Amino acid sequence: MITSPVFFIILIPTFILYWLIPDKYKIRQILLVISSFVFLYIFDLSAMIITLILTIYTYSGGYFIGSRKNLNLAYWLLIGGLLICLIFFKYIGLLVPAFDSLNTFVKIFPKFELKNILLPLGISYIVLKHISYLTDIKWGIIKKQDFIFFLTYSSFFTIFTAGPIERYEKFQPQLENRGDKFEWKYLDEGFQRIIFGLFKKFVLANWIAFFINPVLQNQNDYTFELKSLALLGFSLQIYFDFSGYSDIAIGSSRLFGFKIMENFNFPYLKQNISQFWRSWHISLSEWIRDYIFMPLARLSTNKIWFYFFAPVISMGICGIWHGAKWGFLLWGIWHGIGLSAYQIYRKNVKKKYANSIFVNSLSVLLTFIFVTLGWYFFIN
Amino acid sequence: MHLPKLMKDKIIKYIQDEFITDDSILTPETKLISSGIIDSFSLVSLQSFIEREFGKRIPNPKMTVENCDTVVKLIDLINQF
Repeated sequence: MITSPVFFIILIPTFILYWLIPDKYKIRQILLVISSFVFLYIFDLSAMIITLILTIYTYSGGYFIGSRKNLNLAYWLLIGGLLICLIFFKYIGLLVPAFDSLNTFVKIFPKFELKNILLPLGISYIVLKHISYLTDIKWGIIKKQDFIFFLTYSSFFTIFTAGPIERYEKFQPQLENRGDKFEWKYLDEGFQRIIFGLFKKFVLANWIAFFINPVLQNQNDYTFELKSLALLGFSLQIYFDFSGYSDIAIGSSRLFGFKIMENFNFPYLKQNISQFWRSWHISLSEWIRDYIFMPLARLSTNKIWFYFFAPVISMGICGIWHGAKWGFLLWGIWHGIGLSAYQIYRKNVKKKYANSIFVNSLSVLLTFIFVTLGWYFFIN
Repeated sequence: MHLPKLMKDKIIKYIQDEFITDDSILTPETKLISSGIIDSFSLVSLQSFIEREFGKRIPNPKMTVENCDTVVKLIDLINQF
């Protein structure tokens, strides 16, 4: 969506108007909301409606739990509501075969037609943003609440469809009336980043896709060697594709003076799987770390729980977040096992040969191979 | 109230004993997260240690590179809570 001409047709006049109108009475934020809703209206009306409903829901819930203490039940009910919304729209398709097979024995479930189930644009991103918003209020990180700011955060069209999953705590101070005036660096940095992202997406990623897609789509017709080569190509293609999207999102936001968190940091040059996950889809991996892994890991002091089940469950959730396909779940579990194995290795093996160029290069290569093998589950 | 020096010494000793697997010596300015000494697993253990030792619960989203990449930054963070 953010590579389509429509995105730029909305982006350019919004950018010009944003800097022409005064930075007071939240007019600029309202302009961003209007542009975001126009964007959503054009691409997916259902996403526009759901964004509005969820924003009112989460903001009211946040206001309620923020103004009182010890409201654990209310917090969990609110989180439950968001999760039900995500499951209904995104994962019901995954359960259809199970419903159908149960229906052959006992006809208790209605007959689902997959085509009738909507998948609103950006639903996965908005739910994560709203969960972190509510949780951060509960944890006392977010203290100041403002509906217009939250609506801007929820709907901001530059980061709506492909992230990064910015945190409200970092975004809100940038929304406050800053009396900001236009600076050429915003245009310079934003424009460069957008061009860089478009190059990654349309030249590098699409060029690689041109070669590998025929192999990946008809795997039975190709040899093992060619399929392995295509998997290697996919590893590069998904990086250029997704990091290209992130560059466009970060660059477009920069036009308005916003600094959105980075999402990639040379992930394929990392020496272990733990470092890889600090550099790949950073906004998601940090979200998973803060709101799933760390709370899960603290549930028990049992070492098997801490070093195996907590990372595997967390990464399994990370995998299934990508879509209603068992392959995503397996991909997440693969990485969870990798993180667990690395921890056990780290705990038990002294780094005798650390800083040797050979060992470091070998570590980068092994990590890359592990990640590339994982993509097999992702695409199947 | 813990004196900063006592707090610093305790944290350095804990990190040195628990997470440093080679012969390097930790200083208050050693990079912890960006150098890979501390990762998500170690952060959970470190968070529990801080809670146990200093009675401060640091919310997960605050355990970031910006806030706790060195022992000095970590002490600043602990003192905010």
